[in-house]
Amino acid sequence: MNPVLDGLTALLDPTVLFGMAVGIGLGMLVGAFPGITATMAVALASGFTLTMSPVQGLAVLLSIYTGANFGDRIPAILVNTPGTPAAISTTFDGYPLAKQGKAGLALVISGFAAAIGILLSMVVFSVAAVPIASFALNFGPYEFFALVVLGLTVMISISSKSLIKGIIAGLFGLFLATIGHDPITADPRFTFGLDVLSDKLDFIAVVIGLFGIAEIFDQMLSHTKLRLKPVASLGRWWPNKKEYKSMGKPLIIGSVIGTVVGIVPAAGGDIAGLIGWDRAKALSKHPEKYGNGSFEGLVAADSASTSTLGGALTTTMALGIPGDSVNAVMLGSMLIWGLQPGPQLFATQPALVASIAGIMVISTIVSLGLNLFRIRGLVKILDLPRNYLWASVLILCVIGTYATTNDINTVVVMLCAGAVGVLMKRTGFPAGPVVLGLLLGPLAESNLRRALVIDGPGGFVTNPIALVLLVFAILAFVGTLYSRIRARQKEMAAAHALAEAPAEPAATTTRSEGK
Amino acid sequence: MKLRRNKQEGSAATAAGPSGRPESDGATHTPSLTEGISVEELALVEEMEREVAALQAKPSRKLEVAIALSLVALCVLGIIGSRLIAVRTETGGIDPRWWPTVMCGVALALSLLLTVIAFTRPPFDREDLEVTNRGGWVRLAWTIVLSALYIVAWTLTGNFVIPSVILLAALMWVYDGRGWKALVIYPIVTVAGIYLLFHTLLKVPL
Repeated sequence: MNPVLDGLTALLDPTVLFGMAVGIGLGMLVGAFPGITATMAVALASGFTLTMSPVQGLAVLLSIYTGANFGDRIPAILVNTPGTPAAISTTFDGYPLAKQGKAGLALVISGFAAAIGILLSMVVFSVAAVPIASFALNFGPYEFFALVVLGLTVMISISSKSLIKGIIAGLFGLFLATIGHDPITADPRFTFGLDVLSDKLDFIAVVIGLFGIAEIFDQMLSHTKLRLKPVASLGRWWPNKKEYKSMGKPLIIGSVIGTVVGIVPAAGGDIAGLIGWDRAKALSKHPEKYGNGSFEGLVAADSASTSTLGGALTTTMALGIPGDSVNAVMLGSMLIWGLQPGPQLFATQPALVASIAGIMVISTIVSLGLNLFRIRGLVKILDLPRNYLWASVLILCVIGTYATTNDINTVVVMLCAGAVGVLMKRTGFPAGPVVLGLLLGPLAESNLRRALVIDGPGGFVTNPIALVLLVFAILAFVGTLYSRIRARQKEMAAAHALAEAPAEPAATTTRSEGK
Repeated sequence: MKLRRNKQEGSAATAAGPSGRPESDGATHTPSLTEGISVEELALVEEMEREVAALQAKPSRKLEVAIALSLVALCVLGIIGSRLIAVRTETGGIDPRWWPTVMCGVALALSLLLTVIAFTRPPFDREDLEVTNRGGWVRLAWTIVLSALYIVAWTLTGNFVIPSVILLAALMWVYDGRGWKALVIYPIVTVAGIYLLFHTLLKVPL
């Protein structure tokens, strides 16, 4: 039978459909709840799905991934608080629109933009993944090491205010990956005679600690009685002809940018949304409206952030390098199921790849349907008492981690990772590069050592693919450094100009007066 | 465009208006009220924005210096630990000690650079974080202590159910949960649900 048909037929299994329904519901809930990210939810769900078959498990995980990309826009528009980082750019125009009484319209437009973004990117996944995987079959140690360097460089460049802190976080992840046995000689390293460390740090435990426990700990530290008040007046829901027409251009700009950013290893929806919004503004006839309640801005931001999903899946499945942090967690789960994402996956499991595409498309359409059911009620989730949330997440993190190994020591690793994670969060060190370093560390080390033994460092120059990847990594790093220096100079110049300007009455930031 | 890096979702700080806008003129100006939102509601929403903005964490030079110096110490420890790795066959050069030593060496150099920056440059802004409070530290300390005791109890008794119910009740007490719903019903129902899902359905031996 045709592998594509095989893969799609597998989705008709009632347990898979049930898994998707649960995943979409969970995804929308966690997306709408600020403080629980898709990464955290997928990490937690991995503990539940390890005993399932790969298709059943992926149905749950991918549906959470998709659902969260719809749910996170609701608090972004109604409360100006992004449910996940991918919705940061949604707040730029979504919230001003809500303040103008157009929240309903913003929610509907945002839903359509998000759905179209994902579906277009899945077309790219379907078309590009196989050729990329076939190309990557030729990769040797030099190419794989260069690919890891590129992924880490991009992640470091985009994930932290301080490049130095980002690099240190990446190095920390690579160092953590050395715990266990040496990948070439099998000598024990940093195991201290403990069984729990002898077979490397449990990846899922570390991810749950860094993304789940650390987030909850941070909320405990800073929790106040302040209640977020969503905008209650929603206005009309459906766009008129003129509004529909104005969305075409930003939709195309956002989707193209999002898909390209998604393909770049480790770059996710947050960065794509920001770039998409910025580029659409630069190319708009009405850039002055951006940031003040522009439908174009909303469409560009949402289509860009969600169209990373297909690109990120392409990189993850075709190259084995996670396209974003959610894919990093899924990659860990797939390894536990005995699947090795990468070029070989397409040769050995073509039906599974079709199933993945099918799950993404179905969950996107269902999520859009739910989004259009005027689910403003989801914002009520903001009123959920934090004490119940903290206790529930803590116990679920413990059990989810325990389920991966049936070893209580893994739970200790998870809690330690949580403590380290909250420390990192409070001190400005991003968790993303740590996870990527931990995941890719063995690949980087073993390939680099093999490459150096085979042909020495000169091999990087004689292997054109490796050379190109390394040049891209250098360009990404230097480009980020340059743009940050320029931004800092601009800020200093603006501050200087402000200091020299004659004193004026203080500008109010709101318009509460005179009403 | 000023990109906001490392923005953590869900913090109330993210709800602050002015800093949440790229190239914003420092305002959350709303051009019109043409479609339905009332002046009273707008005032309420903007009051919330101001309250949330007041919760943003402040930059701290002391914190940056402490982080940088701690990192230097950790990296030195890492290098020493890497050199002490016992290797069965000494080959020299690119052996199992090489990679962790390189990682720690590079991290040490960057930590020293971070130290210099911490002393000489303005500290990084922390606008994506909220300020901590004393009650928060107490909650966190109790959570860690209770979690540690829970793991010890689970390990010693080999029983998942009773320590879990006690843990949830104790956590709810620490988190200001009061009454029989929070302290009795919630822990029992949650643990029963987890047991049913993991032990019975997913066959995880609890």
